[in-house]
Amino acid sequence: MPQARVPLHLPVRIIPDEPASAAVIRIDGVGKTFAGEQPGSPPVLDQINLEIRDNEFVVLLGRSGCGKSTLLNIVAGLEPASAGNVFVNGQRVTGPGGGKGMVFQQNALFPWLTAEGNVVFAAENRGLARHQARDLAGELLALVGLGGVSDKYPSELSGGMQQRVAIARALALDPAILLMDEPFGALDEITRNEMQDELLRVWEVRRKTVLFVTHSIWEALMLADRVVVLAPRPGRIVLERTITDPRPRSRSSLPLVQTYEAIWAALRHR
Amino acid sequence: MPVLVAAFVFLTLLGTWELAVTQGWLRRLLFPPPSKLASSALELAIDGVPAGKTLLDHLAATMARIMSGFTVAVALSVPLGLLIGSRPVLDRMTAPVVGFCRSVATLSLLPLALVWFGIGEASKVFLIGYGCFWVMLSNAIAAMRLVDPILLRAADTMDTGRWRTFTRVILPATMPRLAAGARMALGVGFMVIVGAEMIGTTTGLGALIMEARTFYRTDITMVGMATIGIIGLAISAGLSRLERRLMPWMSTHAGPTA
Repeated sequence: MPQARVPLHLPVRIIPDEPASAAVIRIDGVGKTFAGEQPGSPPVLDQINLEIRDNEFVVLLGRSGCGKSTLLNIVAGLEPASAGNVFVNGQRVTGPGGGKGMVFQQNALFPWLTAEGNVVFAAENRGLARHQARDLAGELLALVGLGGVSDKYPSELSGGMQQRVAIARALALDPAILLMDEPFGALDEITRNEMQDELLRVWEVRRKTVLFVTHSIWEALMLADRVVVLAPRPGRIVLERTITDPRPRSRSSLPLVQTYEAIWAALRHR
Repeated sequence: MPVLVAAFVFLTLLGTWELAVTQGWLRRLLFPPPSKLASSALELAIDGVPAGKTLLDHLAATMARIMSGFTVAVALSVPLGLLIGSRPVLDRMTAPVVGFCRSVATLSLLPLALVWFGIGEASKVFLIGYGCFWVMLSNAIAAMRLVDPILLRAADTMDTGRWRTFTRVILPATMPRLAAGARMALGVGFMVIVGAEMIGTTTGLGALIMEARTFYRTDITMVGMATIGIIGLAISAGLSRLERRLMPWMSTHAGPTA
């Protein structure tokens, strides 16, 4: 199998699972250096500490190359951290799966399965019988607004519809947390705005703890309970802002515009 | 409409050919006209050349050899190729061997095959198998290497077990390339068979073509050629249909854009 298989090569040392805490996701001193990088060059991630509460919607925001996707992959268990630990529900993350649902930027649906087939695949993975899996798939596809196209293949669906299927597929696992890696990054702005509304609507129905990565400041402002801003070289948190505006939000809201300016000030020239 | 145009072009070519021979521009013995080919085909189908071996006998013998060699080759090369393709180290280790063996023109092994396996069926099946094996192997390796890693990552995030990942993710992901490889391998089989049948047998389309030469039966040679062409075309078309049936997601690209 090509590279992606993920037995993590973590150093062998015993790290006890955490005692019960309020945080669903706890990122504890996480650092990341890629092998083969020149000595002395700044790490991709340096000393990241972050706690995410139950049902909180947190957005990681930063420019390309700031390490935000790497951080998400570490939380997902798809990449090992070079330093520090991630705990999900008190369990140290050692690999992917185990209730960590993931939505990728694009093209992660199985092209040989229909929209329904993709969701059924995930549902069967958590042990549902075929007919239960199909019922759940029907329900979730209806929830993401795709009731009528469940027998279409991904190649027959638009980019936005594909990402709706990907969200339904991730929800079919009934994951404790939902990790989203620039899920709307490949969509045009209009579709992207629609998808943000859709995601919030779905999230109101199926509350999850969400960690969402984007490089769009407005996307972060429209979605997040809390925006965490990362700057590159070394990848680090430079700003955190809690957003209290009720949803659905307006782009003309003064507090949002002020937060936009604050984030912009933290990001530019970094 | 394209079918009609193609048929028109084809029939015009045949007509011109026929005309050229009846007008004496081409020598009948060297370029037997289509009308002669038709009667020869009939003779071959009913009486047989040499007497008693009909076109169907030749065809059956040829197909049996191709299918045995092809089947054995696929059965060996697909698992091996998937294994090699799954480990970059194995791929790097074997790439020179695969490239070399694939590049050796299969028919250049004919003398060796005769020495190793005798002039019977075994040497013919070996040659077919050899030709098919390396083509199929390199396609199976490529199929595995080209599995999109994001699909495997997605499977991992969904707690997909190893066996389920293999049967439900890797196999379907490699299938289009495997099918293309199988089609190429079968084509190689058809190319190799004629040469392989030129020695040590009087049955088979290759033997028929060779025998006909000995008796100056250019018409029979041409009928043999045409038969191979038609069968190859039919099998290729049949496989395409089968692929569309097995892989419906590959043929559907139209869809809404909103």
